[in-house]
Amino acid sequence: MKPSWSALWGLYAREILRTFRNPFVLLITVVQPFMWLAFFGSSFSLLPAAELQELFGASNYIQFLLPGVLSTSMLTVGMFGSMSTIQDKRFGFMKRILITPTSKGTVFVTKALGSATRGLVQFPIMIAAALAFGVRFNLLWWEWGVWVLALMLLATGFCSLFLAITASSTDWQTPGVVSNFITMPLMFSSAALFGSSHFPAWMRAISSVNPITFSALLGRSFVLGTTTDWAYLGYLALFAGAMLAIGYFVSSRWLKVE
Amino acid sequence: MPDSTIVVRNLSKTYGSGERAVHALDHVNLAIPSGTVFGLLGPNGAGKTTLIKALTGITDITEGDAAVAGFDIRQDPMEVKARIGWVAAEVILDDDFTARENLWLQAKLQRLTEWESRADDLLRYFSLLDRADDKVSHFSTGMRKKLEIALALLHQPSVIFMDEPTIGLDVSTRRMLWGIITSIHKEFGVTVLLTTHYIEEADALCDRIAIIDRGKILAEGTPSELKARVHADVVQLEVSVPVDPAALSAIPGVQEVHAQGNDWMIRVASSEAFLPLLLATYPAASVRRISVEKPSLETVFLDITGRRLGEDEPIRDVRRFYAQMRRTRQ
Repeated sequence: MKPSWSALWGLYAREILRTFRNPFVLLITVVQPFMWLAFFGSSFSLLPAAELQELFGASNYIQFLLPGVLSTSMLTVGMFGSMSTIQDKRFGFMKRILITPTSKGTVFVTKALGSATRGLVQFPIMIAAALAFGVRFNLLWWEWGVWVLALMLLATGFCSLFLAITASSTDWQTPGVVSNFITMPLMFSSAALFGSSHFPAWMRAISSVNPITFSALLGRSFVLGTTTDWAYLGYLALFAGAMLAIGYFVSSRWLKVE
Repeated sequence: MPDSTIVVRNLSKTYGSGERAVHALDHVNLAIPSGTVFGLLGPNGAGKTTLIKALTGITDITEGDAAVAGFDIRQDPMEVKARIGWVAAEVILDDDFTARENLWLQAKLQRLTEWESRADDLLRYFSLLDRADDKVSHFSTGMRKKLEIALALLHQPSVIFMDEPTIGLDVSTRRMLWGIITSIHKEFGVTVLLTTHYIEEADALCDRIAIIDRGKILAEGTPSELKARVHADVVQLEVSVPVDPAALSAIPGVQEVHAQGNDWMIRVASSEAFLPLLLATYPAASVRRISVEKPSLETVFLDITGRRLGEDEPIRDVRRFYAQMRRTRQ
């Protein structure tokens, strides 16, 4: 079925406009990672700088944590994307869309990209918050761009994953249940909060294939000024591409209309 | 006879399988002429919405085939969708958007490039132009319904499907919507397929009506043709003196007499001719109550199904009476 760029643009713009017109969604999107930064980020604030440097390679834990928190928050974005789809099904809007010459695959792609874009709203706000917490950034302009791109790829992958899992559901609770099931293991088995060098071997193995780790390490290399492993960007692109393909396939066949 | 915009052949839709199979549509055949307002009249659960879902590609079909606006719904679903509009039972709009933005989104979904002037024309037609840039969450129900119809008309469809368009509306909004449905059909030359379980709505709006019940089309025709199927009035009579059914049956024009508690249900060819003869037989003082039911879509539905529309259980005596009449005729 040929893609409709017109419908793709219309539905994508709808996703973005709805976000910016709903202050509550914006607030929730921003507050959660901010709380992580404020509370979790402050948990090592009394640790001597030398120990912080040894443990995290940074004199400020928030500087270490920021790329990880931004990465894990892309999981939440996937949940919101999934909830928005279920809302469209329950309120009949999905039917309105699919009675036009718009394919289920197009709906899926716009939801995934729209939710991923919505997740990036967090980026400038978190950077501003980190500055307020004393973090200083010495990134080149293109490093900012690559960092955002990495987060966009991660968010696209997770949004696609959530949408694929919940394609046939119309239950409000499903995204929350799925989120509870996958968020914790993915977050704690990644290098988002702590370096994986102190993990047991089995957790290190999981961490080494966890896309959150790729995004966190890539961002961290820019923030801390360490060597960048560009393979992480490739892995993230692969993750996003694979999840988009799976989500497209699943949604085209099993996306419920109502 | 004009061409048919919608042709349905032997269409069936079954949910589930085996003993639990539910036949939502059971070998439905229809030909809906272009430019008509066609009504599907039936109780809740009759299969009306399922038929609309099948014809709009929202649900797949189990058996049979159908064509809408000249395109097969299975082979060319996107061609069909480019030529249909849809008005839901509940108003479905994007409340965060203005009226114009809702039209913009509809234009994008329908792949329209030139849509602004058409949108303005529609907004003007529905008296919404001065509210075009207001969020639709601030609109009244009537305004929201009008906008929904404007969305359905934006891409100049051949057919508009209206699924219980007036359900839940107050009387004045319903009347307003009836006026709109009649006028858009005339002004925009669009074929309208609407489902309803309101008999007066079907009677007022539809050029042709199909009565559907339990997934089957039971009768189809113009409202006059359907009413003509019931060649009788029904007189319900209660008198204070003993009644001899043979004497009642002997009155010219009486087709059938049936006792029902203290009442007598009398099927007559013409109540106008019958009543003077009845009052000549029974003095007016002895008549406690008398009522006449003329042929209507309600009596047609009763005649065909043995049930009143909207009531599933055959409890009321009048329905038993109609059912018995039907059995007698068979």
